[in-house]
Amino acid sequence: MSAPLLDIKDYTLDIATFDGPVHVLKGINLSVNRGDTLGIVGESGSGKTVLVRSVMGIGPSNSAVEGGQITFDGQDITRLDPKGWARIRGIRISMIFQDPMTYLNPLFSIGQQISDVMAAHERAAGEGGSTKGARRARTVDLLDQVGLPNPASLYDQYPHQLSGGMRQRVLIAMALSGKPDLLIADEPTTALDVTVQAQVLDLIKSLVDKLNLTVIMISHDIGAIATIADRCAVMYKGEIVEQGRTADVLREPQHEYTRQLLSAVPDIEAKPARTAVAAACRERQPDAPATLLEAINLKKLFKTQSGGEFSAVSDVNLSVATGEIFGVVGESGSGKSTLARMLLRLIEPTSGNVVFAGQNITGLTGEPLRQIRRHMQFVFQNPHSALNGRHTIGDAVGEPLRIQTRMSRREVEAKVEALLDIVQLPKLFKYRYPHELSGGQKQRVCIARAIALNPRLLILDEPTSALDISVQAQILEFLQQVRAEFNLTYVFISHDLAVIRQICDRTIVMKRGEIVEHGNTEQIFTSPRQEYTKALIESGRKTSRAATLQAS
Amino acid sequence: MLSFTVRKLLTVVGTMLGIAVLTFVITNVAPGDPARLVAGPNATEDMVETIRSEYGLDQPMVTQFAIYMKDLVSGDLGTSIVSTRPVLDDLLRYAPATIELVLVAMTLGVIVGVPLGMLSAVYKDGPVDHFTRILSISGVAIPAFWLGILLQLYFSVDLGWLPVSGRLPLVTRPPEMITGSLLIDSLLAGNLKTFNTALSHMILPAVVLSFPCLASILRVNRAEMIEVLQSDFIVAARAHGISSRRIVVIYALKNALLPTLAMIGLRFGWMLGSTVLVETVFDWPGIGLYAVSSALASDFKPVIGVTLLIGFFFIIANTLVDLAYAWIDPRLRRA
Amino acid sequence: MSNLEQTAGRPLAFRERHASQLRQLRLYSQMFRGSFSSMLGLTLVVIFLILAAIGPYIVPFPDDIRGAVHMGSRLLPPSSEHWFGTDEMGGDIFSRVIAGARTSLWIGIVITGLGALVGVPLGVIAGYKGGWIRACIMRVTELFLAVPGLALALAIVASLGPGLTNCMIALAIVWWPGYVRLVEAKTLSIKEELFVESARSIGARTPWILWHHILPNCMSPIIVKMSMDMGMAILAAAGLGFIGLGAPPPAPEWGAMVSVARSYMPDWWWYSFFPGAAIFLTVLGFNLLGDGLRDILDPRSRTR
Repeated sequence: MSAPLLDIKDYTLDIATFDGPVHVLKGINLSVNRGDTLGIVGESGSGKTVLVRSVMGIGPSNSAVEGGQITFDGQDITRLDPKGWARIRGIRISMIFQDPMTYLNPLFSIGQQISDVMAAHERAAGEGGSTKGARRARTVDLLDQVGLPNPASLYDQYPHQLSGGMRQRVLIAMALSGKPDLLIADEPTTALDVTVQAQVLDLIKSLVDKLNLTVIMISHDIGAIATIADRCAVMYKGEIVEQGRTADVLREPQHEYTRQLLSAVPDIEAKPARTAVAAACRERQPDAPATLLEAINLKKLFKTQSGGEFSAVSDVNLSVATGEIFGVVGESGSGKSTLARMLLRLIEPTSGNVVFAGQNITGLTGEPLRQIRRHMQFVFQNPHSALNGRHTIGDAVGEPLRIQTRMSRREVEAKVEALLDIVQLPKLFKYRYPHELSGGQKQRVCIARAIALNPRLLILDEPTSALDISVQAQILEFLQQVRAEFNLTYVFISHDLAVIRQICDRTIVMKRGEIVEHGNTEQIFTSPRQEYTKALIESGRKTSRAATLQAS
Repeated sequence: MLSFTVRKLLTVVGTMLGIAVLTFVITNVAPGDPARLVAGPNATEDMVETIRSEYGLDQPMVTQFAIYMKDLVSGDLGTSIVSTRPVLDDLLRYAPATIELVLVAMTLGVIVGVPLGMLSAVYKDGPVDHFTRILSISGVAIPAFWLGILLQLYFSVDLGWLPVSGRLPLVTRPPEMITGSLLIDSLLAGNLKTFNTALSHMILPAVVLSFPCLASILRVNRAEMIEVLQSDFIVAARAHGISSRRIVVIYALKNALLPTLAMIGLRFGWMLGSTVLVETVFDWPGIGLYAVSSALASDFKPVIGVTLLIGFFFIIANTLVDLAYAWIDPRLRRA
Repeated sequence: MSNLEQTAGRPLAFRERHASQLRQLRLYSQMFRGSFSSMLGLTLVVIFLILAAIGPYIVPFPDDIRGAVHMGSRLLPPSSEHWFGTDEMGGDIFSRVIAGARTSLWIGIVITGLGALVGVPLGVIAGYKGGWIRACIMRVTELFLAVPGLALALAIVASLGPGLTNCMIALAIVWWPGYVRLVEAKTLSIKEELFVESARSIGARTPWILWHHILPNCMSPIIVKMSMDMGMAILAAAGLGFIGLGAPPPAPEWGAMVSVARSYMPDWWWYSFFPGAAIFLTVLGFNLLGDGLRDILDPRSRTR
């Protein structure tokens, strides 16, 4: 057997920061043979992106290689000069990036960007430039190959005219334009919708088979890794804790972290043992109305730039019973976030009514609206921007108390400490700023803030989608506890069906602003009526199936 | 594209109307008494009254405004007390000198500022970068009139290379007026000697006027280049093997040019305003000098006329910048 | 958190409670000190402020500040007695330049202060409220911005009549729109942040949101702009002074001094050189300081 195509030995990398150097990569050992497909799994901060970027020589600035080396096809590329990189980067090693929105230059047409890459490769290979027409033909060919419709007319279009999935295909075409020896895919599907994710993964899979590519794919999504990669490595805090055949690693994880990671992935197939929280809650509050929240013919029209109207939510009816967890599923653009905000009157509905605890809150303004807001709270998708960076955690948690109650400063302080205690954060945190906390801790702070006024309803807008899988599991469990403790009713919005199945009693499925399916959660999962629902469930299964190999 | 142009034109007209209102408010609502200012400190009460009725200042505000707007639309900007000519005639006489000066200075600023900004971004923290940073900071901070005086001292008095002031010496016969620009007109007339004389008079004022502008164009272009060079799509272009030169000169520069264009538009207005200083230092017979001498003589009709004209030029410049924006950025083209 | 138990009994020390702020301050000061140009700016500004505060009491010839006449010592070149030489009235230019610092500081504070005082609230309201309120405010702002500042200021001074106070009024009138535009743009982007929506969802009133959420997040660019504008306002006022519309001659104002000195060119070069240099160094100081502040306050240029 010949030497591996890519060989990483004892590679150690530091990044200098104000608080001293951070060891981002610690003694990485990894090798990839021709024709291999290697997946690297890890959560945010595990160093996986830094690792693959180092392979391409585009690692972070102010970083320093502390030891080890990277060998590509027999050549040491650890400390290559720009000239040396020019012969490798993009030509022999190519990359597909995470977010297709920001990796295409907005001012140049698709075709020009791809044929520029081709021209660069021809120059580097010393082939002499082919004509513009020939490059155009090849570009159109490539666009066709990655499954884009109308490749000829696409050539002259600009990135902003394409959807996210199409842009990712363009980036794949760009990466393939040089016939690279090694293709690196950095979370190629993370920024996409679930159904689009499945399509893009299938595309990569088929290209790998057809072109016999050597691929390194990094992802936090075990399902994606299992689809593409024969071998996989698990990264944790800058180290590779485990590597081997993907099937083996998933079936019999050796390292404690891998086991944790796999068990944290919610299982879409598992029938959850539902606790009778809803019933218990009603028992404890016999005078509470059976229906806490109702939406009647809710509709929202947005004006588009060209003057037309776009219906974000149309004629939505729903009713949420006291004590239940009500799920809302949909992809981006399905109107689920708009709906959630209308329920709380953060966005004014164009027409329709919202009834909370028997009171129509649609027409409320001023003081009565403020009063009703004590009872319904919102937890946002992205805890990083839901907290004001200039306020301490104590300020953030105490803010609702200061706005809605007449508590003295001392009482607020005491209550804040109690709340931090409830969300299992140290009291000392009240003097900290949001940027010093991790994502999971920030989301706990957001929850503390939301329950500060003892509300009856929490609307959770994708509360875990910005968090790592293992943190997601903790937060979900914690949310269940809080609910039982405070007799809360949840409206839970998510694109992740496994999570929905795990915790929701009843669920609606939304598509383009309309409810396409609704009913008992179990019923939706066991016998979906709509094609769309089936597609959603199917793409959700991929991840879940991979993670539960060990069980089967 | 057509509706875009039409909308722009409407904005120009609307803003001009707005400026007309603004100037009216400034002259009439301000606590100062224009009639007394015009009459001078030693005027008797009678003289002030005469001037007041002559200027229509005894009329109600609304009537005054109506008259003002009517005159404006018919092109009547009043009469200058100092030169006793209609203000519009004076403006037409002085404007070409200012336009020529500003355009030359702006060209200078752009052709030096943009490449220098690009260079210092690429070689960040290198010697070129240090030099341009000193240039850009001092360029904005240096008083234009003081810089003018220093340059006059050195290049005109000490070295004797360039004329101290003026646009052409009195003895030189100006070429036949075609475009209003002495440089172009003298070339069109085939008179190289006059061209050289005009050019030598132009150099110092143009350099002084363009220096702050050059500094800020350079600064913006540098900052934007640095940011663009770190952006995701440049990282991707690098990763795809596109050559560094192409990345810098084609990919990054085009993106960095957008904010730079905005700065050029902004600085154009600043330059028009600064002509009052630079033209004073160099006795350049343009509208800036005209405004200053009128203001010192409390002759406010010409000052208003100059303000309106400068506002008009600025709007035109901004509109051109907007069009250039749409030309560069495909995302704006749809609208 | 092991120290939680330890600290549970006693009240926390100041250092513990404010550990985060202290770290931030240390980071800022280290970044600031690491930059030569920022420190140069700070030094220039501090010297300027000291001179403005105590200048009139330390100058060698205090009488010359108000234009005392010494016909015997007219237009002397710089010497050990008159460091910057003397002017056409025999006044000591060194004394007059130092005294000018106070005038300039006053000009800078009034113009920048008034500009921010008017512009910031209007900008916040326009950005947050939207609708016709925003349309009105922004239209007027754009109108003011449509005429180059110096030209508009000239027109205003021309109609008010010359003088230092009128100059400051005119410049303040042309200065506020810049703040409206800056703050409006910033508010528009902050308004979209989740934490503003979050505050609304817990029932915060508009003034609370503006004061606790929008304004603190607008502060960095405002501080940077105010620092820069101190310099630019001094420069603009000096320009009006140079034209002859500012303070009348005996007053120690730098722009006016250069203006008078121009007629004594080129033989008495020191007369115009030193006041001009004072303007340059002051404006340079404030610009460098603003630049340094931007480097540490602007999240785009902040690494960690």
